[in-house]
Amino acid sequence: MSTYILMKVLESAPNRYDRGIRILTLGRLDKAYDRLTSHIKKGQRVLDLGCGTGALTLRAAQKGARVKGIDINPQMLDIARKRVAEANLVPSVELCEMGVAELGSEKSESYDAVMAGLCLSELTEDELAYTLREIKRMLKPEGLLLIADEVRPKGISKLILNWLIRVPLVIITYLITQTTTNAVKNLPEKIEEAGFVIDSVMLSKIGNFIELVVSKPQGGVK
Amino acid sequence: MNLVRFLAVNIVGTLLRVLPFPCKTGLVKIGNPDRNSPVLLTCNYHLTVERVKRALRGIDAYLLLANSRGINVWCASAGGLFTDHDVISVLKTSGIEELVDHRDLILPQLAATGVEFKVIGKKTGWKVYWGPVRANDIPAFIKDKLEKTPVMREIGFPLMQRIEMAVAWAFPISVILTLFTIPLWREAVLPLIFLVWALSLLIFVSFPLYSKWLGPEGKRMGFILFDFGRGGFQLILWGVVILALIIYSIAVGDFRWGFILRWGFVTSIIVVLLSIDLMGSTPVYKSGLHEDRLLKIIVDGTKCKGVALCEGVCPRNCYEVDKDRHIATIPGASRCVQCGACIVQCPFDALYFKSPKGGIITPETVRRYKLNLIGRRLVKMGGE
Repeated sequence: MSTYILMKVLESAPNRYDRGIRILTLGRLDKAYDRLTSHIKKGQRVLDLGCGTGALTLRAAQKGARVKGIDINPQMLDIARKRVAEANLVPSVELCEMGVAELGSEKSESYDAVMAGLCLSELTEDELAYTLREIKRMLKPEGLLLIADEVRPKGISKLILNWLIRVPLVIITYLITQTTTNAVKNLPEKIEEAGFVIDSVMLSKIGNFIELVVSKPQGGVK
Repeated sequence: MNLVRFLAVNIVGTLLRVLPFPCKTGLVKIGNPDRNSPVLLTCNYHLTVERVKRALRGIDAYLLLANSRGINVWCASAGGLFTDHDVISVLKTSGIEELVDHRDLILPQLAATGVEFKVIGKKTGWKVYWGPVRANDIPAFIKDKLEKTPVMREIGFPLMQRIEMAVAWAFPISVILTLFTIPLWREAVLPLIFLVWALSLLIFVSFPLYSKWLGPEGKRMGFILFDFGRGGFQLILWGVVILALIIYSIAVGDFRWGFILRWGFVTSIIVVLLSIDLMGSTPVYKSGLHEDRLLKIIVDGTKCKGVALCEGVCPRNCYEVDKDRHIATIPGASRCVQCGACIVQCPFDALYFKSPKGGIITPETVRRYKLNLIGRRLVKMGGE
């Protein structure tokens, strides 16, 4: 019987993803998403990278934006679709199963804002560089890139502290949802290298969670 | 230096075989490739990568490492962790498109259950060729102009792989048992480790002796614990160990029932631990945990055009294509491990799964919903 319960727990279920992520980020995520989407205005065209179950997509659509959400996980998208329908936001939301590598098909300078919640940390190094290039191409001048993600803390003491807090959380979350996240290294530096301007940074106390508001300079100047 | 790394990765990878072991993704140059050199792609499971690199020595080629989350090709493909998206991504973001003039991509055949050649072609313009199952066959495959022999297509469970699996289970189980035993029963640690390794090797090395009694039928939970033909083999194995214990204690001249009972009990626990999901530890049977093991593949004769893509991706050589009637047949259906590769790749949707109760799992479902850790497709939404 205990084996059976363990197996039920091990059964990966996208509908438990949100709960798992809440454990991993210690409830920080919802507030971060609210703060980020406060920059979205009515009528804007917004792209949500790695929309998952639609946390950011829904918030932006509720503010009156037209949102395109992309994700590579069809089960997550199913849940997002259901939630969009329940919120009566179907006309202003488009959800597509596609990865960041397919962003080449999007028009240049066609978005007012690009959002990425716990998405950049899922990417490989090559993918991150490619994605930042594509975001810059797709954003209108002065368009915003809004990021909430886990980052690798700087400094040995913070690294160790982060590790001690994270390991038990990672184990619990993995058992429940088979999800985990990988922190990004030097994210602000990489974003500046890609030619963006960082408007504001909010770093958690241990330095393991970052909220970034970034803009594309007018005329594409560095 | 390369050899040292190869050996180190093989040792660590084998001991911790049950855990993911990721390495860096992206483009790797093998030898001195030029604009016409072959392009191969594999997962980012470190052990696989080292073995593929070793197999490719002396060949000039590009090797792309896609993000399979550090899991091997077959498991990651079946579990939805090595998908079209991961292949498209490494093609688009690694810079390979600027380095070669052709668009031919060699993928491992075992990825066919998760990656659809049609989607890759449509979205990237790259043409997929299914390479051999084993990395060591890649040089011959390239030399023969990407032609595969039936042997290159088929998975087996040879002695070396069986020893690998024995080590893969013996190591973590002996570590866990040791951690529990040190505070409770210190003098038992060494005999315990010996028992775990000996029994594990015995179970896997002798696999061909009893494998003919293994089959996909059986009750769910009981089946998991009693993979050896419903407990028969486990009892025999257990009996052998008890007998050995009695002979040993008589030989050292100190026969006590307490000793026999205690170690008999410990042995039975080890045997059960080692043989939980024994079939799932082999590549030639579906896991006893997976409901998919009872599914049968059906050919829809009205849709099949006999193009034999199924034959080319089946790792158990189940298919035979009737060239005159242009239709696929499955004479080796009893060998099927329900990987679903043939269903995913069939360009005419002519294949599907049928459950024992007559339910149908469509190609659309097989492509879209992959298996989770306990082998269930997440088709249902919402409630658990």
